[in-house]
Amino acid sequence: MKAQMSEAFREGVRDGIRDAMQCGARIAGVLAVAMGMAGAAHAANGDAAAQRLIEAKCGACHLDNGKLTRISEMRKSPEGWDMTVVRMGIWHKVELTPGERQTIVKYLADRQGLAPSESAPYRPLTERRPNMQDTAPDEEMAQMCGRCHSYGRVALQRRDEGEWRKLMHTHLGQFPSAEYSAMGRDRNWWEIARDQLPARLAALYPKDTPAWREWRSAKHRPATGSWVVAGERPGWGAYTGTMKARAAGPDRYEVSYELRFGPGNTVRGQGDAIVYTGYEWRGSAKLGNEDTRSIFALSPDGSRMSGRWFLKGADEIGARFEAVRADDAVKNELVAVTPRMLRNGATTDVTLAGVALDAKVDLGPGIEVVEWLGKSPGELKVRVRVAVDAPEGVRKVVVGGRESAQTVAVFRRFDTVRVEPAFAVARLGGGTVAPMSAQFDAIAFLNGADGKPGTDDDIRLGSVPATWSTEPFDDRARHDEDARYAGHMAPHGQFVPSFGGPNPLRRGGINNVGNLSVIATVADGDQTLNGKGQLMVVAQRWNPTPLR
Amino acid sequence: MKKLLVALCCVAASASAIAAEYLLTVTRPNTLHVIDPAKREVVRSITIPGDGVPGTITVPKDGKVAYVLTNRMESVVGIDLDSGKQVFRADFSSPGKRIKGFFAAAVSEDGRELYVHQAPVVLGRSEYKVEDTYIAVFDTADGVGAKPRRTFPAPRRISLLAPTGNKDHLLALGWDMYLFNTRSGTIEKTFPIRHWDRPGLGEPDVLAMWGTFEQARALSTPYFVAKTDAAPDSAEAFKAGIAVFDLDTETLKTVEFENAQTAMFSSVVNPAARNEAFLVMNQLSKVDTETGKLIKRVDLEQTFYAVNISGDGKEVYLGGALDKIVIHDAETLEKTGEIMMPGGADQSIGWLRVVKR
Repeated sequence: MKAQMSEAFREGVRDGIRDAMQCGARIAGVLAVAMGMAGAAHAANGDAAAQRLIEAKCGACHLDNGKLTRISEMRKSPEGWDMTVVRMGIWHKVELTPGERQTIVKYLADRQGLAPSESAPYRPLTERRPNMQDTAPDEEMAQMCGRCHSYGRVALQRRDEGEWRKLMHTHLGQFPSAEYSAMGRDRNWWEIARDQLPARLAALYPKDTPAWREWRSAKHRPATGSWVVAGERPGWGAYTGTMKARAAGPDRYEVSYELRFGPGNTVRGQGDAIVYTGYEWRGSAKLGNEDTRSIFALSPDGSRMSGRWFLKGADEIGARFEAVRADDAVKNELVAVTPRMLRNGATTDVTLAGVALDAKVDLGPGIEVVEWLGKSPGELKVRVRVAVDAPEGVRKVVVGGRESAQTVAVFRRFDTVRVEPAFAVARLGGGTVAPMSAQFDAIAFLNGADGKPGTDDDIRLGSVPATWSTEPFDDRARHDEDARYAGHMAPHGQFVPSFGGPNPLRRGGINNVGNLSVIATVADGDQTLNGKGQLMVVAQRWNPTPLR
Repeated sequence: MKKLLVALCCVAASASAIAAEYLLTVTRPNTLHVIDPAKREVVRSITIPGDGVPGTITVPKDGKVAYVLTNRMESVVGIDLDSGKQVFRADFSSPGKRIKGFFAAAVSEDGRELYVHQAPVVLGRSEYKVEDTYIAVFDTADGVGAKPRRTFPAPRRISLLAPTGNKDHLLALGWDMYLFNTRSGTIEKTFPIRHWDRPGLGEPDVLAMWGTFEQARALSTPYFVAKTDAAPDSAEAFKAGIAVFDLDTETLKTVEFENAQTAMFSSVVNPAARNEAFLVMNQLSKVDTETGKLIKRVDLEQTFYAVNISGDGKEVYLGGALDKIVIHDAETLEKTGEIMMPGGADQSIGWLRVVKR
């Protein structure tokens, strides 16, 4: 009931402000009326404070006859708004405390954010997945926009044509080299940006959409409660566990985690989180001895959460995260199975994590549960024997009679090993910038029905232990001794790059850049398999941004 | 410092007898250096007033005042090389308008007028508005606080300006080469580069940001171009070439000299053998622009962006990066000397010019 009132109240304030702005009234006056109507609810106080703050900090340039210019004409993700607010500090000396910055971003992302369906295609960018390249609708968009920053930065904004055009003016006004740099100087960049792109962008990413109208008016389920979680951290392996979120204010949570990576490696931690726009979870937590940040999205119905958490200050090191809300409505909801590969003829202990799991497990033909090691609603542990003739391949796991999306694969031996990512970038450290490492994983595959490696029907078994090494990628790298200078592989597949700056020991005094092959060597019974990936070790990135 | 002053004055006094050559370059944060290449030493370092980072250097024929584009491309400062004093300053921007000059600044040969290609953006209360580009003409006699005496429209993305032998003409390099009449403010002739019509060749890529044309009176730049009638994966698919504009005859020559295999950022024509050009980045390359042949190429100890040459055509100077200028023999391309910037100062994207005194 309280939540409903609060939502209705917020709607009232929002509409009130919009109406009032149209007739030229001041925000503060409208708020006083709105507060009188609905009482001084918690959220409303926050809204009023945020509005006063925006008026005070942004109004000098953006308040015109009581109406916010520019700011009210666009929608963005939380990171998009945050980057804008930070830029206003850099460009126009707007001074904000960290708390004020967060208040403004929260207020704007809630009221002028993106619907889940609008942000969904660019989750990898939002989650800061490393070695990710997003795609633009066509080559021109990729070259006009995506040559300097990710294309997703564009696609995570919504504006109408006139406002997109203003953004073009901002671009060349602020970054005049855009028309001199590669793929800018080979065309009339400015004329294309000014005259052609705004209409295209407005058609692709308009300000007003049914998806946003629907999301904005819907009531969103708070994240409060218990969650069963699972994921995989490259270099560490898979984990299952629990997360508990306790309300700590509107859209704010105190969070505790317990992540079980395997025997003897359980990581516990505490943290907090804010949910923006009704579904964009942004958290920070101390997990074990590591400071982490989380970027998750609640599913539209609030029953699931997924995303990525990573180390503070080293976002390339992190883990996938999937969570299912543990509530009474859920039964036999399987979240994770570990391990996910079972060898013919072997006896293996298998853990199944989920919500309200019945102690009734079916792993398919040829896999027999020989012993129950644990039976709790959140976690089942079984010892299974895989028949020598159990059919190879992937099968879905059934718990309590319910078929899940979780799978296990039966195999005799690995057919191939691949290095993931197949192409990675690491960055030298130096100056004020820490090095950016690259985390690799060795993934075992079966050839699948066609018996050929590298085809679509290959079966991905999962991450396997490997020993790691690097080699020069080509003759040039060999000649320049890139493998000697660029950095080194740590035992768990993490490449740690060297420091930047000219190196007088190298040809031409070049810095410690390198072009390397990353080799994973995997022992599988009596065979040894190699996988190979490519790593470019490049110069520092001087402007780390939430959206690359 | 005083010693140099005397030295320069003495040199100036006897200029007609034996003209000595000095190199000029700039380093971060905002310093202009006068270098004696014969002695292999920096003879004077002058702090330019205000913010850096300095880049373009342009000097009239008498070699007395060096005009430096600095203050994040928003000002040209004229420094009297004898006194080390700021004798000219044009700050382009004002609170409501930011104006950048992207490398393209040139002083007339008689030193009276300064031309700057300008890209303005109006800084409105809540939005920016990019305006059309133009060439602003300053009267150098206006000294510190100079404002443009006149302007005339110019295409966007121009990166180099150079006065020609015709005192009313100014050459601008952008997508194409434009010959402006500075009196009428019109383009008298366009020499097509991007818009050339050469069968079997695409649009060339030119990034000319270092102007070195004073010795041979020829503005040159490397370019790279796709050979559209070659198989895309063949060695022939991309060619490297050089464009040379003779500032006295006002004619443009372009020639491809090899399959593209290395990046080259700037070039200079040999005043003593005008068919020879030197191109630089990670290698120093010597090219015959008559025959379209690569004559010689050597690897360099580091990257250099800017190249210039002695008046007798015997020594090639390389700079524009890190804290070093190196000197190579124009015949053998072997290194014959080096000059370190004081305090390891970074030349960044600085130009390298020669003045005769």
